[in-house]
Amino acid sequence: MAKDARFSNNKHMTTAAIEVRIPTILRPYTKDAKVVSADGADLKSVISDLDRQYPGLAERLLEDGALRRFINIYVNDEDVRFLGGLDAALKSGDSITVLPAVAGG
Amino acid sequence: MARFDSLESSVGHTPLIGLPKLSPAPNVRLWAKMEDRNPTGSIKDRAALAMIEKAEADGDLKPGATILEPTSGNTGISLAMVAKTRGYKLICVMPENTSIERRQLLEMWGAKIIFSPAAGGSNEAVRVAKELASKNPDWVFMYQYGNPANTLAHYQGTGPEIFADLPTITHFVAGLGTTGTLMGAGKYLREQKPDVQIIAAEPRYGEVVYGLRNIDEGFVPELYDASVLTRRFSVGAEDSVKRVRDLLEIEGIFAGISTGAILHAALAMGAEAIRDGKSADIAFIVCDAGWKYLSTGVYSADHVSASEALDNQLWA
Repeated sequence: MAKDARFSNNKHMTTAAIEVRIPTILRPYTKDAKVVSADGADLKSVISDLDRQYPGLAERLLEDGALRRFINIYVNDEDVRFLGGLDAALKSGDSITVLPAVAGG
Repeated sequence: MARFDSLESSVGHTPLIGLPKLSPAPNVRLWAKMEDRNPTGSIKDRAALAMIEKAEADGDLKPGATILEPTSGNTGISLAMVAKTRGYKLICVMPENTSIERRQLLEMWGAKIIFSPAAGGSNEAVRVAKELASKNPDWVFMYQYGNPANTLAHYQGTGPEIFADLPTITHFVAGLGTTGTLMGAGKYLREQKPDVQIIAAEPRYGEVVYGLRNIDEGFVPELYDASVLTRRFSVGAEDSVKRVRDLLEIEGIFAGISTGAILHAALAMGAEAIRDGKSADIAFIVCDAGWKYLSTGVYSADHVSASEALDNQLWA
C-alpha cells in the first residue's frame, strides 16, 4: 500500500518520507536539527540520502561498510540489527532513531 | 519450600504470576516473574550473590576486603546487603542523576558512594570505576557488565525457574542493562525450547544520558551476545510510565519504572500473536517494585508530566 501511495504521489518524490532522530553527538552534522527527513527503500539508501544532505554523517554511522559498534539504530523502536541491518526494508512513515550505545544496570 | 537458613539463601525462587486482565486473550497470556520478591527487592540480588561467591571461591575476595562496583543503584544495593552480612566494605560508583531512594538504601546497607557526572549516564560510572580499579589494585572489582557469574546466575536460576513454572513458554521478555538476565536465562530457555523468542526491552532515556563526547565512548557490555536475542526494542519514558501505571491499575502490581518498558514490549508480542492467530505464553521480568521511584512522582502525577520528570534521570 505504501508503495502504491508513493507511485501515485510521484510528483512529491522529493518530499522525504522517513523521519530520522539524530542524537546530540551527531547534531553538528545536521546544523543542530534533532529530527531530519530522508528517503530510501532500505537503511543503506536512507543513510546515503542523509549523507547527501549532511555530508560526513554516513562516516559517523558506518565503519568498513557495517554499522559502527557503538551506534544503535532503531526502526519504529526496534533495533535494526535484528531487522536485516543495512538491508532492512523501510517504507514511507517509518521512524528511525539513532543513538549511541550506553550502559545500563 | 519457605524456610531458609539465612537471608542470602532466600535469593531467587520468585513466583511467576499470571495477569488475567492484561493478557490479550485466554490463549495469549502474560506472566510476571516477580523479582521484587528478592531480599533487597530486585533481580540484582541474584547476580550480586553469584559474583561475590565466585570471587570468594577464586580466592580474590578475602575477609575485610573492599569491593568496587559501578552501578545505577540496584546492583549496588544487592552487593551492599551481601557485603554487610559477609563483612566486606563496598564502594559504589553511581551516576548523580539517580533517585534519592537508591542513595539512601546504599548508605543504609553501609556502602560508600562516589558520584559520577550525569552526562554520559552509566558509561561515566563505568569509566570512573575502571580508573579507580586500576589505581587501587587491592580493591576487588566485581564488574557486572563483564563478569560471567552474572550471566550464570540467570542461566542456573532465573531461566530454570521460569521453564519449570511455564514449560509452554513462547516468549521471554526482559530488560537490557548489563545483559546478564537475557544472556543467561535466554540461553537456558533456548536450549530447552529452540523456537522460544528472547526479547530485549532497552530503556530509552532523555538526551543527557546519551551526552557522550564522542561515539567511541559508547559502551556495549562484554557479556552481550546478540545471537541470544530474537528482537530488541527501545522503549521511552512515556510508554514505560503508561505501562507501569496500567500494571498497577489493572492487575494491582506495584512495579518499578523499567518494568513498564519490559511490559510494553511484552504487550507488543501479545498483539502480534493475536494478529497472527497464534497462542502465546509470554513471561516477562518484574525487575523491582516501585518504592525506590516514589520520589519521581510517576505514580501520582499526570501521565505526561510524570514522564517529563524522568527526562534526565537514569530510571532503569
